[in-house]
Amino acid sequence: MSQLKVNAISDSAGANGNAITLATDGTCTASLTNPRSFRRINPNGAMNVAQRGTSDTSSDAFLIDRWKHLHGSADEAPTYSQHALTSSDTGPWEKGFRYSFHIQNGNQTSGAETNDYIQCETRIEAQDLAQSGWDYNSTSSYITLSFWVKSSVAQAFPFTLQTSDGTAYRYTFTTGSLSANTWTKVTKTIPGNSNLTIDNDNGIGLYIMFWPYMGTNWTGSVTENAWFGVSGNDYCNDITSTWWTTNDATFELTGIQLEVGDVVTDFEHRSYGDELQRCQRYYYRTANDGSTTNLLGLTTESSTKAAGGQPHPTRMRAVPTISFGSDIRFYSPATGTITFSLSQNRCGTSQLSAALTITGGTAGQSGSLFQNASSNGYIEVSSEL
Amino acid sequence: MYKISKSTSYGKENSTIIRTSDGAGIPLDPANTDYQEYLEWVAAGNTPEEAD
Repeated sequence: MSQLKVNAISDSAGANGNAITLATDGTCTASLTNPRSFRRINPNGAMNVAQRGTSDTSSDAFLIDRWKHLHGSADEAPTYSQHALTSSDTGPWEKGFRYSFHIQNGNQTSGAETNDYIQCETRIEAQDLAQSGWDYNSTSSYITLSFWVKSSVAQAFPFTLQTSDGTAYRYTFTTGSLSANTWTKVTKTIPGNSNLTIDNDNGIGLYIMFWPYMGTNWTGSVTENAWFGVSGNDYCNDITSTWWTTNDATFELTGIQLEVGDVVTDFEHRSYGDELQRCQRYYYRTANDGSTTNLLGLTTESSTKAAGGQPHPTRMRAVPTISFGSDIRFYSPATGTITFSLSQNRCGTSQLSAALTITGGTAGQSGSLFQNASSNGYIEVSSEL
Repeated sequence: MYKISKSTSYGKENSTIIRTSDGAGIPLDPANTDYQEYLEWVAAGNTPEEAD
């Protein structure tokens, strides 16, 4: 083995300073032109933020933040969960991942039918992609997607990127055949295309979709590894049905990173607090960890109305929908502890604000919404994509 | 199913769409996906109730 010992590395002209300067302590300083921080475009790729809970069997819903799960025509609903990894999860565990998006199949007693499907997806906000540095109309400019995947069934799985603005385009490829119960890191570098449109706004810029199974109503004959214009429901080529027809089969994902460039870099781990705040642009739920915690201060405006507001944790993507858990109550000296209903959503993107319908109020009195019990004592605010 | 809740606050009339399944209040923001679903529901020929 040879060893290069130098103090600096510069370009051939040597007139532009050093690209890399090496110190005597074994460290170096490099002049990088591509960003090393904040290169992961998609929030919550490590699946560590799950504000809504840790398990769900419904469809067309969010469980792990920023990840939507859907299924259709299932005989028995699959179970979606935030799954805690252990040291036996060889691969992602050593890379610092502690959670996965875990799907456990139900018992599909009718077998694989044409209208069956199961998927999970994340949606990238358009302006984050438009301003990412990816020249998406150039075939020589790239984004790279990387992720860890594990299936209890040995087979290949497709996934699809899809744009949303203008004429939608899809890009599909398969993982290659996975070994059963073995974590595999998959990477894919994807070029731009002159037909892509990505608006500089707060709408959907890109879907990233994973398909454990889709029936033939959702598949067709598509060219993999190339962008193609959306035509009907052909998301990908026909999918092997083995996973779908195996009761309690599992499928897991973690470490999903979308980044600009044609180089796969290590997953950009971020602190829980940082990742949570990024997710809260789309959704937040007040925590259930207090006791009779006041969640919102209000002023009683009349015998039947109270209103109040406070800032969101971060600026939200759009004016949000608000809802309340069943264990939230209103209190004021005149009303005592009472139930209420939402009268007006007065939110903006920076402010939680609501008017409530109450009974027995006295105008001018202060009041509050508080957690009457911990299990469902929350306010939920959503501006999901 | 949805209900329309209207009231006057600070001299201005406000409307909120209440989703009856969970009582959620949906703003009239075209970028809000719940509002987009509501518009699709109306476009399908449905009519929201007036709130109580």
